[in-house]
Amino acid sequence: MRIDLQLRHPIALAVQFELRGFSVLLGRSGEGKSILLKALAGLLPAQGGPYAGLAPQHRPVGYLPQGYALFPHLTVWQNVAFALPGRQARRARACALLETLGVSRLASRHPQTLSGGQQQRVALARALARQPQLLLLDEPTAALDPATREDVFAELIAQIRQLGLPALAVTHDPHLALMADWMAVMVARRIVQQGTPRQVLAAPASIAVARLLGIRNRLRGVVVDAGHVAVDGVLLAASAAAELARGQAVGVLLRAEDIELLPAAADSGANPADPLWTLAALREEGLATRVITAAPLRLEALLPRDRADAIALRADQSVRLRIDPRHVQLCALNPATEAE
Amino acid sequence: MRTDGMPGAQRSRWRGVAVWSAGVLALTFLVAPFVTLAAFTRWDHLALAPGDLGAVGVSLLYSLIALPLVIALGTPLAWWLARSAFRGKVLIDALVLLPLLTPPLALGLLLTSLYGPYSPIGAAFERIGVMLTNSAPAFLLAQVYGAMPYYVISARAAFEGVPRELEQIALTLGKSPWQVFLRVTLPLARLGLSAGLALAWVRALGEFGIVLIVAYYPQGMPVKLWVNLQDIGLPAVYPLLWLFLLVALPLPLWLGLRARRRLAF
Repeated sequence: MRIDLQLRHPIALAVQFELRGFSVLLGRSGEGKSILLKALAGLLPAQGGPYAGLAPQHRPVGYLPQGYALFPHLTVWQNVAFALPGRQARRARACALLETLGVSRLASRHPQTLSGGQQQRVALARALARQPQLLLLDEPTAALDPATREDVFAELIAQIRQLGLPALAVTHDPHLALMADWMAVMVARRIVQQGTPRQVLAAPASIAVARLLGIRNRLRGVVVDAGHVAVDGVLLAASAAAELARGQAVGVLLRAEDIELLPAAADSGANPADPLWTLAALREEGLATRVITAAPLRLEALLPRDRADAIALRADQSVRLRIDPRHVQLCALNPATEAE
Repeated sequence: MRTDGMPGAQRSRWRGVAVWSAGVLALTFLVAPFVTLAAFTRWDHLALAPGDLGAVGVSLLYSLIALPLVIALGTPLAWWLARSAFRGKVLIDALVLLPLLTPPLALGLLLTSLYGPYSPIGAAFERIGVMLTNSAPAFLLAQVYGAMPYYVISARAAFEGVPRELEQIALTLGKSPWQVFLRVTLPLARLGLSAGLALAWVRALGEFGIVLIVAYYPQGMPVKLWVNLQDIGLPAVYPLLWLFLLVALPLPLWLGLRARRRLAF
């Protein structure tokens, strides 16, 4: 399925992208992602398809807004039965849907008494009751308990896949995007990249995309030769430089997890010719340690617990870095339209 | 009273007592005249004046007709006020407030000027056989005019309290805007709508100022109270007043209880 939509109000927006299976549209807050979903549901005036010109009640979409918007004056089964016609058999059909989603025991409760995950199931059941051809989910993890968010959401995706329904979820959460079959990235109200999460992750199109994907180190550099880029005078080995012209300005992307720290001592296995890096700060992040270097460049590295224990890092220490040249990703610098 | 320096529990107890006392004071203030009414009523000679029962009938009958008219005319206006946004809306707000602000007696005079026999509108109605002074339609006109602003203002607040998102979701579930209104908006606005309805009923039943000018006849309870006071004196007022309260109270009480009961899940 292809989305091709233009909006003028409440914001100007023009987007084209593909939907494949469970798709995620990733973008920062305020990009107009929720507005896009509402336009797809027919709740805001827009040009283009799918469903051009249809009133919302005639569009075959199931829309799950942020917070799910269950009807507070109806019980769970009445919420699900809302879209069902007729008087008889409504309850039975609603309960069958609840059964499918594993929440039939909640049928006679009121929505206010449910947890976020339960409300999500009920909202999904309610949306499924009208037999939609497309599911729209607005920030589907926002109202979930952080402790169980990933599990609950993974299960939701599994269920939607099982139903064989195409779905579009919008979110600013990169973790959620990585679980999808297909993702599109929105920057400055435009779709700047789309592909499978693996494709996008392997080659972010720009620094702004890298930022959305949660890549912490985003630098500007120049291709020096087929194997190196220079960032502020510091030479970094990068396999990807082979495909680029010498002298080309590029974005240099490095995941915090991909940087290895070695003690400065001669026997640490580090190359004594490599520069020494001074540290700006050490921050404990749960069991891992986030290390921020001061010079020659400011980089963030995330050390797993065993590595941090092994080298007994102190903030006043100097270290050497080891970075696999294959992990240094190069991307286009942001076009003028993309604000970092 | 100085409450600083007290421990928290004690302070909150004082606060509770203060709120409670203020509530009792206000209630006393509101109820006091009716205690007087009970005390001054001559229970051994409780008798209605001639025509009192007729007045009760007139008031009840026309109020029961006026109420659906108020709902039919006021609901779309209230919904429109709650759901639309445009420049100069504050002007419309002011227009709705006007009938509330104007003293009823003056409103009666204005309505007579507009619909009376010497006005073009009044003359036009007369030609089709509808007199808009001292007639049943005039009585209804006065009641509807007096009651509708109260209903509109309550209903508007009630509609504004219904989350837009729930109405939108209902649309995406395949319901037409009319079905959405019936199945989502109305049930969620019911508390405010019931309050508006109760207010409208009380206003229609108790309307005096406008009715006095526009429709002295047919005589409803409020005007009959005044007539009784003029012709007979206070002892003829109290029995009719008791009767008035007796017939006026059940509907608002029932509406309030019903709306609240359905709210408590």
